[in-house]
Amino acid sequence: MSNKDIMLMAHLMRRVGFGSTKDELEEYIKNGYDNQVDIILDSEPNYEISKHLINRYQPDYGSPMGNSSNGASWLYKMIWSDSPFKEKISLFWHGIFATGYAKLANGIVLHDQIKMFSKFGLGNYKNLLIELSKDPAMIIWLDNCESHKGAVNENYGRELLELFSMGTGNYTEKDIKEASRAFTGWTIANKDYMTTKSQRDSVWPYGRLAMHFEYKEDDHDEDEKIFLGETGNFNGEEIIDIICKQKATAKFISRHMYSFFVEDEPPVPEWPYKEPNNPNAIELLSEVYFDTGYNIKEMLRFLFKSKFFKSEKVWNKRVKSPIELVAGTLRITKEFERPDKQQSSANSHTSFMGQHAMNPPSVEGWHWGTEWLDSGTVVERVNFSSSKLGDVNNSGIRKIINNVKSNISNQYSTELLIEKILEELGSIIVSKTTKDTLKDFVNSKINSEKSLNDDNLSELLQLIGAMPEYQRA
Amino acid sequence: MKDKKDRSLVVVQLSGGNDAMNTIVPYNNGIYHDSRSAIHLTEKEIIDIDGSLGFHPEMGALKNLWDQNKVAVINGIGYPVPNRSHFRSMDIWHTAESESIAPDGWLGRTIREIDPNHNNVVTAVNFGRGLPRALVCKDVPVASVGDLETYGLMPDIKGKEQRQDVLNYFSRMYGPNQGRDAILEALGENGVSAMNGADILSGANSKYSSSIEYADNPISNNLKDIAKVIFADVGTKIYYAQHGSFDTHAGELFNHAKLWKDLSDALGDFFEDLKEHDRQDDVTVLLFSEFGRRIQDNGSGTDHGSGGVAFVLGGSVNGGFYGEQPSLEISEQVEGDMKYNNDFRSTYATLLDKWMGIDSVPILGKNYEQFNFINKGT
Amino acid sequence: MTTSFDIKNKKTMGLAAMQGRGFYYPFDLAFDSNDKIYVLGRGHDYDPRGARITVMDMEEEYYGTFGSFGDKEGQFMWPSSIAISNKDKIYVSDEYLNKITIMTTEGDFISSFGQLGNAEGEFDGPNGLVFDDNNQLYIVDHRNGRIQVFDEDGNYIRKFSSEGESEGKLNLPWGITHISDDTLYISDWGNHRIQEFSTNGDFIRTIGSKGNNESNLLHPSSSAVDDLGYVYVSDWGNHKLKVFDKHGTFLCSNRGEGTLSKWAQDFLDTNVQEKEARSKANLVFELESFKNDPFTESSHVEKLFWCPTSISFHKDKLLIVDSSRHRIQVFNKVEKL
Repeated sequence: MSNKDIMLMAHLMRRVGFGSTKDELEEYIKNGYDNQVDIILDSEPNYEISKHLINRYQPDYGSPMGNSSNGASWLYKMIWSDSPFKEKISLFWHGIFATGYAKLANGIVLHDQIKMFSKFGLGNYKNLLIELSKDPAMIIWLDNCESHKGAVNENYGRELLELFSMGTGNYTEKDIKEASRAFTGWTIANKDYMTTKSQRDSVWPYGRLAMHFEYKEDDHDEDEKIFLGETGNFNGEEIIDIICKQKATAKFISRHMYSFFVEDEPPVPEWPYKEPNNPNAIELLSEVYFDTGYNIKEMLRFLFKSKFFKSEKVWNKRVKSPIELVAGTLRITKEFERPDKQQSSANSHTSFMGQHAMNPPSVEGWHWGTEWLDSGTVVERVNFSSSKLGDVNNSGIRKIINNVKSNISNQYSTELLIEKILEELGSIIVSKTTKDTLKDFVNSKINSEKSLNDDNLSELLQLIGAMPEYQRA
Repeated sequence: MKDKKDRSLVVVQLSGGNDAMNTIVPYNNGIYHDSRSAIHLTEKEIIDIDGSLGFHPEMGALKNLWDQNKVAVINGIGYPVPNRSHFRSMDIWHTAESESIAPDGWLGRTIREIDPNHNNVVTAVNFGRGLPRALVCKDVPVASVGDLETYGLMPDIKGKEQRQDVLNYFSRMYGPNQGRDAILEALGENGVSAMNGADILSGANSKYSSSIEYADNPISNNLKDIAKVIFADVGTKIYYAQHGSFDTHAGELFNHAKLWKDLSDALGDFFEDLKEHDRQDDVTVLLFSEFGRRIQDNGSGTDHGSGGVAFVLGGSVNGGFYGEQPSLEISEQVEGDMKYNNDFRSTYATLLDKWMGIDSVPILGKNYEQFNFINKGT
Repeated sequence: MTTSFDIKNKKTMGLAAMQGRGFYYPFDLAFDSNDKIYVLGRGHDYDPRGARITVMDMEEEYYGTFGSFGDKEGQFMWPSSIAISNKDKIYVSDEYLNKITIMTTEGDFISSFGQLGNAEGEFDGPNGLVFDDNNQLYIVDHRNGRIQVFDEDGNYIRKFSSEGESEGKLNLPWGITHISDDTLYISDWGNHRIQEFSTNGDFIRTIGSKGNNESNLLHPSSSAVDDLGYVYVSDWGNHKLKVFDKHGTFLCSNRGEGTLSKWAQDFLDTNVQEKEARSKANLVFELESFKNDPFTESSHVEKLFWCPTSISFHKDKLLIVDSSRHRIQVFNKVEKL
């Protein structure tokens, strides 16, 4: 078991989940890398318990009345789930199929949408697109409930092609029109009542109501359509079938996977003009897409076991999204075990950092990578991370401190102290400049085991929380 | 005449949907009384303006400013196809885009016009956590300050010297020695920019001296902080703050009164402070809300409506009424709400063109008819 | 010949409202000696305005509201249960601040007691509250898995039970009720059963258990007993009302039959556009996703119970606090068919 093995595992856990601490990594290493990938992908988390526990203390579980409870309970699951990968996948899809509370004024449908991502997000991509097309939140968000036979609204048809499957430049305006025609009649039950309530932000009389899909046959345009060169009386499912057959779809989804799990790609609007960071990786992933019949889980299995993923060149190459930063930090600090007001406050923090869960600014979702960083968000991010890591009263931090102290017992040196802390926090990789800075800081305050008191350690941990490497994954 | 470059705009967002009809009150109107049996304000209570309209009873300080001709009241402000959802309607006001969803805000675009090379990281300062969409624009830095006194990086480190010491190490980690990849560059630039911003703003806090005693409530604290930064002359052009919640579905009389008392008194103190420092002509304040409220009350308050009121205040403002007071006649109502008669983007355009000296058309997307509430010759 | 039982819904009271006439996530209620109802609103973390007490009566007259969110005297953060002594003093348990607050029926603060801990007189999540006939206050100290008994001034007297799964032990218990033959019924939320204890703390019996049958319970929150000894349970996890006879045999259940209350009707009458759209909607239906997921079903179908948190009798009427629908459903006692 080499140091490189631990670091590779740390890299994997940062990408499939929200990071792991040293003792967790030591457990996973025992399974061997490839096996561990399989375990992560194939295990099912146990949700029922945490759902009832959250709901008992947070009656707004599912966000019937607002939206923020959704983010708060999602964070709770990210922190305490035995399979954070499930939450990461939902986060991945939420960023692509971005649907926002602002227009819906209904948190339950968003909660249900995330549940749908959880259920279908690792299966067949075709099924996922069909479920998405029937999702009430999406139907209202992109106005498909206002799309009728003879009076077609093209919003969903357009975004389905542009943002959810093929990417711009791979179809024509006519294709958009034809696709939109195929989705007429795909609406929600009690549409007038539901949209009235959304527009009026109505929680009356008895709170908000969940919504469900309804297919209105008499509102569906069943006439012949020509879509991407194929002709037929297509309904929505057939359009999706044709979409999934396209190479462009394979590449588009592969590129999203690469960006989210391997290294930041440029923003989607630039994709027609900018080549992928690793075109070969995108090719390989596209092949798996077709070979496995569009199976998302298998594409990811291939990705995590691939050379391009394991390569040190992509370690720490992404900027953590605010949700990843907050969830990852709280996984380390373990500052609350039961559902608590803290997760509500944590949810507010992701919002201050620019990512309000279930409320992306537009259907494009959030722009990732360096776009998470501006002078306002950097302050929030640095302050949050340093404050949390520096709070030695949190059980997670206390444990890390105890581990470090026992590990350097009787062999104290500045080097060793810093090495051990960074290991405990999940084998964080730092540059020479950062390391030198940390060393100088330690040397100015601590010269022996005796000065390893809470105050000094807290300051050191705060500085570590503030370092640029901590903002990356 | 002062140089246009000393000017700034203070935007105060009244979150939740301010009840326009109980703010500028048509107190003699029979329909007003009949529709609001539970929450109407009487002739005795209101502060009369012109015999048919009156200010809410708690707006005394604002009335003072009105008497000095420094308050423009824009009645019937709104946009076509009113949306009564908080989030959506506020987004529309923030992005100045009512037909589609835009990702950036009108003030963010304005900052980009003012400082395209990001030379001054405190060109815009938001008082509050997180960034309102109005200020969002790619690459545009905005400082979001919770409390000016404690604003900055790593506030948990106690002791000024101790903190300065730690921040020195921080700046080494974010400095140019780190070598280059795009992420480090972004982190480095923004980290340093944040530090500089915090330095600039903390200077503003310590330099402040005034005889005005503001009340101790969030909006007063925010306006006081804004005054501090104005007097420090650090080049800030846009300030943003929020007050609320005006979402008075119930208990309106009590809640609305408190909201306006706090706001009105805070604005009174703010303008006194500006006067004391001879800056009252350099600052214009915009008060807006995402929608007005229904004409009919619901027994204890009012529900979401449309057709609201906005205020523009300042030493360089031509006081008076702008826009038209919406009619309450049933035939003129829109689903039970007041009908708007001027698009809010006209107010934005006026502030951009006439006050800030910036072409409003690229920022708002088209040309909007402007008002005369900014003094000619300024 | 087997007898069938049925329970009939009488009416619904309440309206979702953060302020004024209505409640936000009501968790419990209590009556004073003048038949006024004090409904304890929990609110939720993102909008603390809902943490308050709303005063009304069985005719749906609204008398006002008091209390607010916070940690100062007379304020609440996670208000959980409410009880009123025979001197008409209000007692509210707060499972975040770990204290019991005593107020007058006008909402004036009298005193409070309690802090976080597991020593005698300390709490970890004080929940259900009930007085016995001797004015002793029984407090469900749920994360300590025990019941503590105090006098009406907040002085500690004794305690019983402890955390566990076996008979007589409790796992995150919630509601508690007392009946005049001096027994207590405690909702053992984590163990999916109701337990009967003597007021001395001696275990008597359990009712209900975990399972998938109609007669099983899932995280019950509260129970009430009528004069015939029938036990009515708010089966929180199943979002149902379940009735057992005095031997503990399951009789019948009800999934909820919410109707428009007076206040709800007033709202719709003032908001004609919404009323019209609602009148054309079909509010009762079945979906695939409802199978084995009553939470989801309740989120869709408005009339059903959604997280019933408290159940109690007032005279001959059964009141169920239907927390996630911000209302109270009123039923008659169970009747033989």
